[in-house]
Parts: sequence; structure tokens; C-alpha cells
Amino acid sequence: MSGPIGAVAPRETRKETMARARARAALIPDLLVEAHRVANNVFAGWHGRRKRGVGEDFWQFRHYVTGENLAAIDWRRSARDDNIYVRDREWQATHMVWLWVDESPSMLFRSQFAVVAKQSRALVLAFAMAELLARSGERLGWLGLTRPMLSRRAADHLGQSLMLAPPQTRLPGPEGIRNFCDIVLFSDFLGPREETLSRLQAYARAGARGHLVQIVDPVEETFPYAGRIEFRDPETGERLTAGSAQGLKNDYAALFAAHIASVRAMARSIGWSHTLHHTDKPASQALVALHVHLSQDVWRQHQ
Amino acid sequence: MSGLPLVFASPWVLLALVLLPVIWWLLRLTPPRPRAETFPPLAILARLIRREETPAQSPWWLTLLRLVMATLAILAMAGPVWNPGEAALEGDGPVLIVVDDGWAAAADWERRRDAALAIVADAAEDSRTVILVATTASAPEAATPLNPEQAAARLEGMVARPLKPDHGATARLVVEITRDHAPGSTFFLSDGLEHADSSELGAAFAALGGQRRILLPGTEGLVAMAGIRNDPDALVGTLIRPPGQAARPFDVVTFDIQGLPAARATALFDAGGTAADFRFAEPVELRNQVVRTAVSDAENAGAVQLLDDSFRRRVVGIISGQSADLSQPLLSPLYYISRALSPFSDLREADDANVARAVPALIQQGISAIALADVGNLPEETVEELGKWVEGGGMLIRFAGPRLAAAAQDTLLPVRLRAGDRNLGGALSWETPKPLAPFEAQSPFFGIDPPREVVVRRQVLALQEPDLEAKTWAILEDGTPLVTADRRGAGWLVLFHTSSDASWSNLAISGTFVEMLRRVVDQSRSRGAQATEAATSLPPLRLLDGRGRLGAPGPEARPLVVGKGIEPRASIDNPPGFYGTDDGFIALNLFAAGDTLAALDPASFAPGVAAAGYAGEAAFDFKPWLIGFAVLLFVLDCLAVLWIGGALNLPARGRARAAATLFAGLALALAAPPPAGAQDEAIDFSASLITRLAYVVTGDATVDDISHAGMAGLSQFLASRTALEPGEPAPVNIAEDELAFYALLYWPITAESRLPDPATMARVDAFMKQGGTILFDTRDQLSGPLGGTANSPEAQRLQQILSGLDIPQLEPVPPDHVLTKSFYLLNNFPGRYAGGELWVEALPPTGDGAAPRPARPTDGVSSILITSNDFAGAWAVDDSLRPRLPTVPPDPTQRELSYRAGVNIMMYVLTGNYKADQVHVPALLERLGQ
Repeated sequence: MSGPIGAVAPRETRKETMARARARAALIPDLLVEAHRVANNVFAGWHGRRKRGVGEDFWQFRHYVTGENLAAIDWRRSARDDNIYVRDREWQATHMVWLWVDESPSMLFRSQFAVVAKQSRALVLAFAMAELLARSGERLGWLGLTRPMLSRRAADHLGQSLMLAPPQTRLPGPEGIRNFCDIVLFSDFLGPREETLSRLQAYARAGARGHLVQIVDPVEETFPYAGRIEFRDPETGERLTAGSAQGLKNDYAALFAAHIASVRAMARSIGWSHTLHHTDKPASQALVALHVHLSQDVWRQHQ
Repeated sequence: MSGLPLVFASPWVLLALVLLPVIWWLLRLTPPRPRAETFPPLAILARLIRREETPAQSPWWLTLLRLVMATLAILAMAGPVWNPGEAALEGDGPVLIVVDDGWAAAADWERRRDAALAIVADAAEDSRTVILVATTASAPEAATPLNPEQAAARLEGMVARPLKPDHGATARLVVEITRDHAPGSTFFLSDGLEHADSSELGAAFAALGGQRRILLPGTEGLVAMAGIRNDPDALVGTLIRPPGQAARPFDVVTFDIQGLPAARATALFDAGGTAADFRFAEPVELRNQVVRTAVSDAENAGAVQLLDDSFRRRVVGIISGQSADLSQPLLSPLYYISRALSPFSDLREADDANVARAVPALIQQGISAIALADVGNLPEETVEELGKWVEGGGMLIRFAGPRLAAAAQDTLLPVRLRAGDRNLGGALSWETPKPLAPFEAQSPFFGIDPPREVVVRRQVLALQEPDLEAKTWAILEDGTPLVTADRRGAGWLVLFHTSSDASWSNLAISGTFVEMLRRVVDQSRSRGAQATEAATSLPPLRLLDGRGRLGAPGPEARPLVVGKGIEPRASIDNPPGFYGTDDGFIALNLFAAGDTLAALDPASFAPGVAAAGYAGEAAFDFKPWLIGFAVLLFVLDCLAVLWIGGALNLPARGRARAAATLFAGLALALAAPPPAGAQDEAIDFSASLITRLAYVVTGDATVDDISHAGMAGLSQFLASRTALEPGEPAPVNIAEDELAFYALLYWPITAESRLPDPATMARVDAFMKQGGTILFDTRDQLSGPLGGTANSPEAQRLQQILSGLDIPQLEPVPPDHVLTKSFYLLNNFPGRYAGGELWVEALPPTGDGAAPRPARPTDGVSSILITSNDFAGAWAVDDSLRPRLPTVPPDPTQRELSYRAGVNIMMYVLTGNYKADQVHVPALLERLGQ
């Protein structure tokens, strides 16, 4: 094999803030466009809340059941006949969804088998998600970066905020997370497991439901290396030389599968969903899976 | 010659060592640079590649390994030989060769001779004369200069002799020779041992000029047999060897007169030990046939001991005049004699009460002594026969007694006796019982301390005769003889003037009696006495050769002169062997008890004289070892290269296992107290101080919760009703926790519970065997088919669990079982359910005639109790001590009874069958009467 199999994609990060902002600006509109395209494919069936609940609009009258709060009785309607009615309202609470993309150096990795770098794919997914959610009128926020906003152009706003912010390499703290919100995290989850887990648990304690989207480069899973190879960690710069890389393949594959399983287990342990996405697959795949998780979850939550 | 006996066959090869730095430089060449790859999940990969490789150069240890390999190869090519032993001849003038040709050289004689022949061959090249001196036969006439051909011929004819080298004589001979022919080269072909007067020879050596060398063999495996004796229970001997050698066993074999091996024993030398004992515990008849004892793999005359008659154990026949009263053995006069004789001789009791028939029968058995205890009258022909036997060397030992005292004179007495006996200290006598006087010097008993506690109350008295004093061996304090003896022909007549039992004297029950009898029996010879006053010469019968084999005597062997005061010694004229005739012979041995061996120390023997090993014996060629080691290193190097290259990575799991195996021992050693121990300790400690009810954790949270609550409830009940105040209930992990602290384990069975593994079952089995009791509760009284427990899933699971245990036969608690009485009087043992039985180990059936008792007393506590009534469910209470589960049927009495059942079980487990005894108390009180 001639060249290296994987490389660090040109990151939209430069030493100078301006250059970075320009690079991000150049990247993110593209991503937004792609996100629009992806989201259009998935746009169906997000309106699932035609039911009674806490809201402003009238939904239905129904018979009073013994034991219900007396204050709930609609006396005006009840006066019409001999029955006692209760006025139900339609559930109107908007849902809040936090998005977050891991921008650590390892996410910039892109192998020759992948279409894009992991971070690029993650951003596309995040913006597509934002587009979808904004369309269905949810409140959106970028975890650790923006406040929740309710806007049809929320994805654009998020993109603009992201352009100016430094890359986020660590999961932010649970500040601002309220009960009954959703968190969607895009990352390769290669960072320290304990730290990630503690953060996730903090989110869960704050009452959030979440979805982990694990972005994996195909090379990371298949390990197609052979011969004497010096591996370098883009995150730490640490180097490791394998005398015969092909010999490690099976063991590595098992370990990496265990890593994925451990992330999945981490998600399960706090009741979150987990989606595995490879960068050599279309982004819409992950988006559909994520959409299913999210809508199922919302549905279950409000059942 | 340098002090270090290390030579190289081709020393110039060592010059190649100069190349080592070049090799080192070559070896440090950089391996190819690895391809660089970015790889984010490096942390995961790092778990596979733990070792950080130094990419710049091969690891230092590999370089070192290869350097060592190269060094070894160069050294091996140079052909180093340690201790080459090549006796290069120097100087000129006669060559003096002193050869140790004693027993110690026999096993290795060929090599000694070859060494000497090599020297002679060297001398022949230089046309030098040779003087040969053998240390066992240092005859001056032999020590003349020979030309090398003659010397070689003489050497060819020399054999090792079964003798100790006489270094004193050799030293004098050497001095004599050097006076006439000053040797240019002197060689001492030692046998490695220091002999008597070795220092003289050393001094003679040190005084010599010219080339001097000592050839010294190793003394490993060189043993001699120093002394052997025939003890009552075994033939016992000692092997000796020079000090400072490793632990080693030697086989010792005995041979009979035909040369056939009879028995085999082992003597084990400790490391550094110089003496080792061996014993043949064969029957005395077999032992008496042994004529030769030899170390089986030591081919030398020193490792052989020959045995003659003097090694035979005496056979003593004993005859009593009294009828044997077997019911009162202590009153039998033979009892004390046989007890006193048995340690050192073999007894033949007359199997016929008729003395007339017993005596000939004993004589025919070839006995050497006959003890007659209180035999008065003897039939005529018996007297005649005994007299003939005594004349022929027999020893007749007689003891006085009422019969002897009453008998008429007979001839088989050493002295003439007064009729009747003398009573000392009787009611009508002023005299007191007399103690023994000290033994006279001419008495065989001389040297035995006369015991002060021995007193003689009755004795027979000898008539005062002129020779009485000469015949007396022991006297009483008043001068009256106690033991008299007389020679008759070759034999002896001995008379103890008191009885052989304790009726006349307490001599027979003192230790002195044993010693006296031993001395007496020692006076006798075994078959046919041979000791004569005059010196006689015995012809050589069969003699040992140097290798310790018996053979016909050679022409130079001379008769052995024996006699009183002549200590026969092995010499060139009298080699060790048998002397005499086939009918009677004596053995001459090279070594005697107490001899020791010492290795020759060349430094102190002759300071300044070079010592070396024999050629081919001590020479050590390093070449094969060096090459072998280099090859081993090469293999290691190949493995290391493969490992570094990653070829060994494929079976990474195998490698991990190998590493795990490697570290397992280390881990075991380091982690001797397992990490869990620390936290368990507190639990164990408290469990050992407080009685706690324990239950087995099943893993099913509901069941465990109820178990815990049940144990808590029972603990509370126990504390309120009985003197037992248990601590907090203990959950027990049956697979890991220490069980020894709990008397009772409550083990609820769930259908889903995992089967314990065999190791766990072994623990449980041990717990039960060590007195613990397990209460299995299937809790299925209602759930089983037809309301019973048969074939319910829990019961089947219980059967599976119990199949791994050693369970005795079980039965439902019988009405008279202690369990029904141990605290409360109970008829049944309900839990949450009332229908199930409580099963216990079946009691042994009572005999038919046994009186009906309220409780059957048995030993121990049933190690297993099985119920299906869900005890814990009935006992379970919540925090406010209210029952947690309803009983079925909901009956408060049933719950109370279930608690009582728990109390009874607990009391039964803790007190065992104590209550079974207690229930008899009223009956006992009644029997005692008001």
C-alpha cells in the first residue's frame, strides 16, 4: 500500500481565530445544504401530539370521573345537561432538544475508505437534525454553546454560533439541562470512558433523555493495516509501533467491538439510545435511525 | 604450569575476540523505519501492544545476547579444557612413580594404570628409567630402576590389592631410593584418600627435587564399610566416606555362604555426612547365614565386611522345672530369663514339658546355651547328654529354686551345694536380705555396677571347697557365692545361687540381671567353640580381591595366626578374607567399627607440589557446553527476532496465557493474602465472636430479602425466648465466604438458582463434615403437583445440588428425635406451610430390647435438614417486627409453632444431643429415690 490509509482531514481550526472562522464558515453552509437535503428525505410524521395535555387550546369535553379535581370541572358545559364534564386541553408544550458534536482531533480522522471525516459527518447529522427539529417547531440548543431557541432557522443560527466558538473537544457540563429534554450527542467516544460516563450520568440526573450517535471510520473497525507500522494518536500525539500489524487484526477487531459495546452499554445503563454510524455509509441512514429513536422516545415519553 | 588448569586447544582463535566491538557496531544497525499511520483509537490498540518499541536501534538486551553468543562461539572454537591432566614429563633422570594400589584404587584401577602407562610412555620417549613403587607392598627389592618396557610390563601385571596403602613404609622406601637414584620426575598416583602416615610420604615428597606431581582422583562414590554387628532385631552396620560430599544413597547387599544375595538395604548419606547406617531386619536365621555384606555398586574391598561365627547370634534354650502357668506369667521362672535374654540372643523354649525329651531336642537345634530354671532332678541319660554337650562347648546356665535346693547332688553343677537353702531375713532369722558385693576383677561381670537395690532373700549355699573362690563370679556382701561357674571341656557350667524369678531375690527384676546374663552368654561360643589359649595359625580359605570379591587364595597369602592377645590385621601376607576350614573359620576385615575416611588434601600433604586430576577423569572440555549454550542463545535470539517482528503476535491469546502462566506464580507469591481477604476479615472476625444466623444468598433478590428478614425474625424470637442472642443475620456467598463460623446455614432453593460448581460443593461438603448443618428449604409445599413436593422444580433442583454431596440416609423427624425436644416439645415443624415434613439424617435403629425413651440418644448433629415449609417466609418480619408474609392457612398458632421449630432447630444445632440426655433427668431423679 503506497500512502497512509488514514489521515487527519484539514480541520477548520487554525491558529488564528479569523482563519478558523473563515474555514468554519466555508464548511458549515455546505453542511447546512447537505443537511437540508438529508432532512428532506426524512421529513415525515413528526407531529404526534394530537392528544390532551397541558396547553392553551381546547381539545375535548369528557365525563367527570369521581376523584378528579373539582376545579377541573367545566361548569358552563355541565350546566347544559345532567352530566358533569371536564374540559381537556390539547398538549402544546414544545420539546427541547440539545445537540452536540465532538470536535476533538480524533474526529478529524478520515481514511481513504471513508467519504468524509468523522467530524464532518457529525456536523452534517447535527445540522440535519436541527433542521428537522426546527421544522417541527421544537426548541433547539447547542450544548454548552447556545441557549435554546425556537426558530424555523434554528439550524442556521446554530451554524453561525458554531463558527465563532472554539472547537468543543469535551462534553460540556449539565448546566441548562431541564427535565424532559432530549440530548443528541455525535462523537466517536474515543475519549476517556469514565469522564464521558460521568457527564452522561450528570445529564441523566438532570432528567434528560438522550441519544448517542457513535461515528466510526471504517478503518477503525476493520484495521486493514499490514507490516511494520508506527501508529500515532492525533489526540495525544502518542506513538506506538506494531511490528506486524496484520497479526493484531483479529484481536484489535474484538477490542474495538468491545469498545462499541461498552458505549452501547453506557447508553443503556442510563436509558439512552445508541446509534452506530460509519462514515463510509450515507448520512441519511444515521438520520433515519436517529429519527426513529427520537420519535419513539418522544412518543413514549408523552404516552 | 600456571596455577589455573585451563588450557586452550587453539589459543590463537581467541584473537577473534578483538572483533567483538565490530560485531557490536554491526548489531546496533537500525531496523527499517516503520510506516507512519494516524490512528485515533490508539488507546485500544495500545492494549494489544503494551511494549513501547525503540525504533532507533535493536533493544540492548538483544545486542547483549548476540554479543554473548559471538563470544561463546569464539571461546568454543578456541577449545578450552579444564584440568587437562596431561602429565608432561619434564627434566631428566629416573622417573619415580608411586602408585596407590589399595582398595580405594580398585574400582578405577584401569585408569590409574593408564595414567602410569602414559607416564612410562613419556619416559620411553626420553629414554629415562622408571622406578615403580606400589604403596601397599613397599618392598625395597621392587624399587629398582627399570627400563620403560619392563616398567610397562610390570604395570600391566599390577592389580589393586584389598589393603590399605602403607604410606609410612612407602615414605621410607622413597627416601631410600632417592639416596641412590635421585629422580628427575616424581609422580604420585594417589587414590584420593589420606591414609595412616600419609604425612610421612608427603614429607618425603616435599623433600624431593625435580618435577613433582600428584595425580588426585575425586572421591565421589568411594565408600567403605566400617563395622557390622548382629543386633537382636537387625544386622546393623555403618558406611563411611570422606567428608564434604553430596547426599547419596547406597545399596547394601548381604550374601550367604554360597555367594547368593540374601537381603538388600539402603544406607543414606546426608549431604556432607561421613557415616550412614544400614540395617537388615531379616529373621535371625537368615541373618546368621550371612557371610558377606557389600555395597552393591562400590567395587572395592573396603566396602565389604565378612562375617564369621562371632557375628552369629547366640541361640539359648530355656527349660523350667515348674509347670508353666500361662495365666500368671509373672510367676513363671522363665519369664524373667526370657525377658533378660531376648535383647541379645534368640530363645528357644522347650516345646516339651518333659525335660528328658526337651534337652535333646534343644541340643539338636544347635543352640549355644541352655538355661535351666530351678530344675532339680534330671534323668540319667539327659545328664549324660547335657554333659557331653557342655564338654563340646555348650554353656549350661542353671538357676536355683526350691527344686534344685531339694534335689540330690547332681553332676551338672559348678560347685557342690549344701542340701537345702538359706533363708535370709525371714521371721525366724536375725539376718537381713543381702545385697550384692562389687564384682571382682577376674569375674566376667567386672565392670557392672553392683546394684544397691538388689537383695537376695534366699539362696543355695556352696560347700566350702578350695577352688570355690576361683569358680565364683559374684558374691553377696557376706561373701557367700551368688554366681559360680566351672569349665567343663570346651563349655561352661554356670549356677545362679538364687532363683530366676522374684521369689528368692529381686535380682531377676533388675537391669543388672540382663547385663549379667549377657556376659554369661557371651562366654559361650556359638557352634563349636574355637577360642583356644594357644596361638594357632589358620590357613587362608577364601580371600577378597581388590574389587571386594571372594576368591581362592593366591600363592602369596599366608596362614593367619590367631590366639589370645593377637589382634589379626589385614596385611600383604594376610589379605582380608576367611581363614580356617569350611567347618570353622574366622573373618578378617579391612575396616573395623570406628574407622573414618579422609580425602587427601594436596596442599597439606606436600605443599608446593602440583596436583591434578587423572587424565580423562577430571578433565573438563568446555567446547560442547559452550557450543550448546551458544546454540541455545541462538534459538532464543530467533525467538526474540520473531517476537519483535510480530510473527508471534498471531496467537496473542496464547501469549497472554503464557504470560499469565508466567506471572501466576509471581502473583500467587505476591498476593498470598487475596485482595478479598482484607474486607472479609472484618466480617469473619465479627462472625467468630457473635453467633449469627446465616443464610445462603441465592441471587434472587426477593428470596434473599425474605431469607434475611426471616433470619432477623428468628433472631429476634430467639433473643426474646432463649439465652441465645444472635447477631445480625449473615448473608453467605456459598462459593466464597468462610463457612466455618456458622453452625446453621439456611439455604432456600429456587428453581432458577444456579447449580454450585464442584469446588463449592466440596466446600459445602467439608462444612457439613466438620459439624455444620445446612437447612435446605424448597418452599414448595403448596406449589408442587398435587400439593406435595415430589417433582416440583425446586425439589429437582435440590436433588441436583445434593447429588454432589455425601449425604447419608434421611428420614422424616421421628417422634423420639432430639429435634422434637431440644427446646420446645414439638410434634411437627410448620413454616409458612404446615404440610411438609422436616427430613433429617436417619438415626441408627434402636435395638429390639432397648427401653422406650423419650429421646433417642445419638452422637452428633444431623448435618442436613430439609423442609418444604418455607421457614423463612414464616419467620420474616419487617422493621416494626410485624410478619411480612401470611401463613397458609392464616393461623397465628402456626406462626408461633414455626418460630418454635426454628428455636428447636437452632438449639439442636448448637447443643447437639445434650437434650437427649437432659430428658432423662426426671427418670434419673426418680431412680435415685426421694
